[in-house]
Amino acid sequence: MMDFDKIKEAVNSIEMSKTMENRLKENSNIIEKKKPGQLNYKRLISVACAFGILLSIMIGIPLFNKNGNFQGANFTITAYAWSDDGNRSNTKLLSDKATFELSTELRGITTDITGDSGHAIYTKVMLNVSGEHIDSITYTINKGKFLEDVILTAKEYADKDWLLSEKIFITMSHPDLDIYNGIKEIGNTYTVKYNEQDKYKNLITIPHDGNLAIDDDIIIKVIVKYTDGKTEQQDIVVTQESNSIESKSISLKLK
Amino acid sequence: MLQQLVWSTEPDIERIIDTYGNMLFRICLVILCNENDAEDVVQDTFITYLTKSTTFNDSEHEKAWLITIATNRCKNMRRYNIIRKHMDINDLQLYCKDDENYGLLDNLMKLSNKHKIVLLLYYVEGYKVDEIAKILNITTSAIKKRLQRGRELIRERYRKENE
Repeated sequence: MMDFDKIKEAVNSIEMSKTMENRLKENSNIIEKKKPGQLNYKRLISVACAFGILLSIMIGIPLFNKNGNFQGANFTITAYAWSDDGNRSNTKLLSDKATFELSTELRGITTDITGDSGHAIYTKVMLNVSGEHIDSITYTINKGKFLEDVILTAKEYADKDWLLSEKIFITMSHPDLDIYNGIKEIGNTYTVKYNEQDKYKNLITIPHDGNLAIDDDIIIKVIVKYTDGKTEQQDIVVTQESNSIESKSISLKLK
Repeated sequence: MLQQLVWSTEPDIERIIDTYGNMLFRICLVILCNENDAEDVVQDTFITYLTKSTTFNDSEHEKAWLITIATNRCKNMRRYNIIRKHMDINDLQLYCKDDENYGLLDNLMKLSNKHKIVLLLYYVEGYKVDEIAKILNITTSAIKKRLQRGRELIRERYRKENE
C-alpha cells in the first residue's frame, strides 16, 4: 500500500550542499550591495528587473518627409510581453520612453536535437501593428531568430529527420499526458497579414557572447505595406543597457 | 487606527536563504530533475526577491510568494529545455540521506510538472487545496484533479515495481 505521507519525508531528505548554499549567499550579497544603483534605475524605468540585464527597444530612424521635416509613422507598434507570473502586459512603442518586464524563457546554454549547443536568450514578445489601410507587416531581425511554438504528434516527435526538415530544433514532452511540443525556427524574417496578426505569437531568440552579454545592438526592422502598395518602415533597436551578473529576466525600454 | 505590521521592511538575504533555501531547492530539483537548473532557479528567485522589494504580510505570505516565483521559473526553464534524461538514481543519492526514499522520489520525479508541483505543495509543504489554487492561480477543482491523478500515477508505478 502506498503511503503518500512518505513523500514529505522523501523530499525533505534532499539537502543542497553547503557549497551551493554559500554560492547562493555570495551571489545574492553581490546583488544586494549593488541595489542602491539598481533602485534608482528601477525608478527611472518604472519596472523591476530581476537581474540587471536590460534590453531596450528604441524606435530608431526617424521618418522625414520630402521637405526634410520629421514625420511620425502612420502606424503604431505595440509590444506584448509576458511577465514571470504569467500575466500579459503591453506597451505601445511611441516616442515616449516606456518600459516593461519580459519573462525570459531560458538563458544560457541550450542544446537542440542536433546536439549542438549555443548561447541564446529566449523571450516571448509579440509585436502588433495598428493603423489604417495596412495590408501586411514584415519583421526582420538582424541577429537572432524568430521562433514559434508548435504542437507535435508522438510520431512527429520521434522522427528526428522530419523535425530537422521542419526546422524544429527544440522539443519537449509530457510523457504521462501524451503531449509533445516543439519550437520551430521561423528564421530572421517573416511577413504577416494585418488581419492575421493575432495568429502569430512568436518568440525571439537573441545570441549572446557566452557571458549573457549582447555584443551589438539588435535591430528589428518593421516594414508596413499599405493596401495602395506604399510602404513605411520603423526600426526597433534592442540594446542591452546593463550587464551586471547573470540575468534571467529581460526588460524592454522603448524610446 | 493601527497600522498593519509588515513582515520585513528590509530584505535580509541571509535569513531568507537559511529559511527557504533548502525548501526551494527541493521543489526545483524535483521539478527540473537537474541540479544546475535547480540552483539557477533558486538563485534567480532570491535575486527577484531582492530586486522586487515586495512587502509581505507575514512569513506565510513570503513563503508562498517565493514558491510562486520559483515554480513559474521552473516551468519556463523546462519549456525550452530538451527533455532531460531522468535524474539517475545514483545522482539522487547525493541529495538523499535515506535509502528508502529513493524509489518514492524517483517515481515522483517521473511525473509531469503539473502533478509534481501540486503533490509537493500538498504533501511536503502542507498547503490546503484552496491555498495551492491561489499560489498556482488555478481553480480548486483543477488542483483536486491533479492531486488525484498524481496519486494514481504514483500508485500505478509502485504497483508495477512490486509485481
